[in-house]
Amino acid sequence: MEDRRDRFEAQVLPHLDAAYRFARWLSRSPADADDLVQEAVLRAFRGFDALRGSDVKAWLLTIVKNCHLTALKQQQRRGFVPLPEEHDVQDGHAMIATTPDPEGSSIRRDEARTLDQLMSALPEDQREVLVLREIEEMDYREIATVTNVPIGTVMSRLARARAALKTRWIKQIDGERHAVR
Amino acid sequence: MQCAESLRVQAYFDGELDALSAADIERHSGTCAECSALLDDIKQTRAALRHDLGYESTPPELRARIMRALDQEIEAKLPRLQRQRITGRRLRPFWQGAFSGIGGTAIAAGMAFFLLAPPLTNPLLDDLVSAHVRSLMPDHLIDVVSTDKHTVKPWFAGHTDVSPVVADFDQQGYRLIGGRADYFDHQRAAVVVYQHGSHVINVFSWAATTGSVPKDTTRNGYHLAFWKTGDLVYCAVSDTAWDELLGLVRLLQDMSTRDAS
Repeated sequence: MEDRRDRFEAQVLPHLDAAYRFARWLSRSPADADDLVQEAVLRAFRGFDALRGSDVKAWLLTIVKNCHLTALKQQQRRGFVPLPEEHDVQDGHAMIATTPDPEGSSIRRDEARTLDQLMSALPEDQREVLVLREIEEMDYREIATVTNVPIGTVMSRLARARAALKTRWIKQIDGERHAVR
Repeated sequence: MQCAESLRVQAYFDGELDALSAADIERHSGTCAECSALLDDIKQTRAALRHDLGYESTPPELRARIMRALDQEIEAKLPRLQRQRITGRRLRPFWQGAFSGIGGTAIAAGMAFFLLAPPLTNPLLDDLVSAHVRSLMPDHLIDVVSTDKHTVKPWFAGHTDVSPVVADFDQQGYRLIGGRADYFDHQRAAVVVYQHGSHVINVFSWAATTGSVPKDTTRNGYHLAFWKTGDLVYCAVSDTAWDELLGLVRLLQDMSTRDAS
C-alpha cells in the first residue's frame, strides 16, 4: 500500500502543476479549481492500478477534464447555470508568470494581463486545445485523448483558437494605440 | 478565402507531419503569402503564450491538502489491524521486528496515537522540500536576480558560507535566473535557481558535515537529486521529470570537474 503511494507520487505527482493549470483554465474560480484538482488526484489514485503505458500526463488531465464535466452536470442539475458573463474576465485567471524575469517590465506584465483576458474570452473548447498545445506542449493525439474528440476536430479547433486570439490581440493593441492618441 | 493547405501548415508548425509532407509544406509556404503569414502568426501567438502565461504552479497549501487527502484515502481503505500496523511502521521502522505480534501492533498503534504519527524521516529531506516549496511562493524565489554567473557567484560570497558552482545553461534548456541565501543544517546555504520549461529547479549547496550523501529520492511529488563535489554537498530539487533534473545535475558535475582540472 505504501509502495503504491510511493509509485503514485513518483509517476503522477510530477504532473500536478499541469493538472492545476488545466483546472484553472477550465474552472470559473480558483476555489473550484482547487476542488477540481483534489478530486482528480484522488480519482487518479483510485484508478492508478489500471494505468498502462507511459502517457501519465494525458491520463491525469483526462481525469481532470472528466471531473470538470461531472461538476458542471451537478451544477446544472441544481439549476445553477453559470452565465458566460460571470466568467471573471476582469481579473483574468491570474495565470501570469510568477517567476521573476530578470528583464521583466511593467509593459510585459500588462501584455500578460491582456493576453490572459483574451484567453478567458475564447470559447471553452478552443481555449482548452490551445492551453494543452501551447502551454502543456501536448501533441494532437494526446489532446484528442484529453478532450475526447477526433484529431481532425482538435486541428480545426486549434486553428480557430489561434486565429481568434491573433485577431483579438491585434484589435486590442490597436484600441490601446487609439486610446493613447 | 483561406488557403486549402492552412491546416497542414499548422500541423507542420506543430511537428505533426512526416518528413515528406513537411518538405512539401516548406516549399508551399515559400510561395504562398497567406501561409507564410499564418506561420508567422502562430509562431508569435505561441511565443506570447509561453512567455507570459506558462509558469503557474500548484499553490503549496493545495499540494499539502492533496497529500492529506491521499493519506486519508489510504487509511480508510485498510482493514483496521493493518491500518494500525502501518501507522506503527511509519513511526518507528525498527518496531516491526521487535513487536511483530498482535500485541506489539497494539502497542505501536497506541504510541502512534500519542505521538500524532509524523512519518519518521530524515529531517534534512523535509527541510529541502519545504525550502523548495517556500521558494515557489511569491517573492521568495530569488535574492539576486540575474542571468549572469559573474553577478550571482560573487553575491554568494557575502551572503552564504559556501561558494557553489554557478553557470547558465540556457543553450541546454536550463536558464539561470538567480540565487538565494537559505538557512538549514545549521549553516547559510547557497541556492542557485534555474528555470527549465515551466519548472523551477532549486540547486542547494552546503558544506558537508558528514561523509555520506543522501540517496536520490522523491517526496511530495518533488524529486531530490544529491551529489558531492569537494567538500560541498549539492541537492537539486524540482517537480520536473527525473531525466530532466538529472540533465542539469550532469551539467553541473561536468562544470565542477572542468573547474578543478
